[in-house]
Amino acid sequence: MNTSETSQNFQEELVALLPRLRRFARNLTRNPHDADDMVQIAIERAITRADQRQPDARLDGWMFKIVRNAWIDEVRSRGRRDKIFAPEEAGEHIGSDVIEQEVTLMSVQAAMLGLPEEQRVAVSLVLIEGLPYKEAAGVLEVPIGTLTSRLARGRAALQVLLGGEGEVA
Amino acid sequence: MTISDETIMAYSDGELDGAEREAVERAIRENPELEKRLALHRALREQITLAYSAELSEPVPERLLAAARRAATSPPAGKVVNFDGAQAAKARRAARDDSRAANDESSYKPGWQSLGGIAAGILLGLGVGYGLWQQGAGPIATDASGALIATGRLRSALTAQLAADQAPTSSVHIGISFRDKTGGFCRSFALSGAAAPAGVACHHGAEWQIQSLMKGPSGENSGEYRTAGTGMPPLLLKSIEAEISGEPLDQAAEAVARRQGWQAPSQ
Repeated sequence: MNTSETSQNFQEELVALLPRLRRFARNLTRNPHDADDMVQIAIERAITRADQRQPDARLDGWMFKIVRNAWIDEVRSRGRRDKIFAPEEAGEHIGSDVIEQEVTLMSVQAAMLGLPEEQRVAVSLVLIEGLPYKEAAGVLEVPIGTLTSRLARGRAALQVLLGGEGEVA
Repeated sequence: MTISDETIMAYSDGELDGAEREAVERAIRENPELEKRLALHRALREQITLAYSAELSEPVPERLLAAARRAATSPPAGKVVNFDGAQAAKARRAARDDSRAANDESSYKPGWQSLGGIAAGILLGLGVGYGLWQQGAGPIATDASGALIATGRLRSALTAQLAADQAPTSSVHIGISFRDKTGGFCRSFALSGAAAPAGVACHHGAEWQIQSLMKGPSGENSGEYRTAGTGMPPLLLKSIEAEISGEPLDQAAEAVARRQGWQAPSQ
């Protein structure tokens, strides 16, 4: 395969991945504007670092990791300023015109927004993006046991928030 | 043998194999309490998957598409670094900080929240041809028995398009694929265009039968909602929830189903 074919494939895979990248970034940043900005930065970083990707690495996991690192950089450079805004803007996810039938579905998103970041991101990678535990642990650069316990705690909290029978003894 | 909740969780996520998996299965058979916990994990996963599936059908902003398209032209070794986009993103963020309430073109609007008369907008279980299209010319037609079936671009998309790899500019967006209570395959879709209807089609015989169809955002706001208007209406999600058996297909399962022509595996 020549270089231009490789680039062509990479481009197609990247374009196909965009909806999931945006979804993951929204769950990560809790803000749709920030999410798209992080996706854009991640795409640009990915293009310049395409040669650093392991040949057998999944593109989704690799890109999620770049999005997450871009967000870590961003939060660091902003300091604490945005923490004040985040909950307010997160409301944009939910929309103002809530109709009764939406309540159940909306509450899933509202419950997710209430989780601590570590748990929210673990839930997002495994339950929403469908990554295997090993891959999700790789994105977060943590041991698989750490991922598993964040996921378990996140799920337990969601059960409670969503009014399910969360009290699994 | 004591089975921790984390083990049940890992089992429900398909993360166990071999002896570990068998041990859990044995324990579950013997202990109804474990079975209950397993069901809770599965139900939660399903609920979350469903709640976030609509986002995948949203059109992607042009600036992100443009950034991704540069992947085909940039040298893979990355000697030339294009920071323009990142700089622009930074500038946009700075501008937003000045006027956070500003309604710029990139602001995220859940397009279906204004369904303009919910009850009137639902065309569930429609028995006649959807009036927007001429018989035989549009994406939906009636067959000899009067059932609504997908034709043209909708039919091709339902048959060939995987939810994960569709072009964001495609005129048909596939939402999720799932098995219905009879075991058959169904897929949700949204069509672009002024009326932007969305619905669910199930594969029967050689055809995709339209199970439910609902109209998109209503006319007065169509300009505003056009960019974000192909997401799934919440009511469509409700109708999927009523039909679905098990979880929506993941990427791999969807690819397998496509390869097998969307034929329900024999029991």
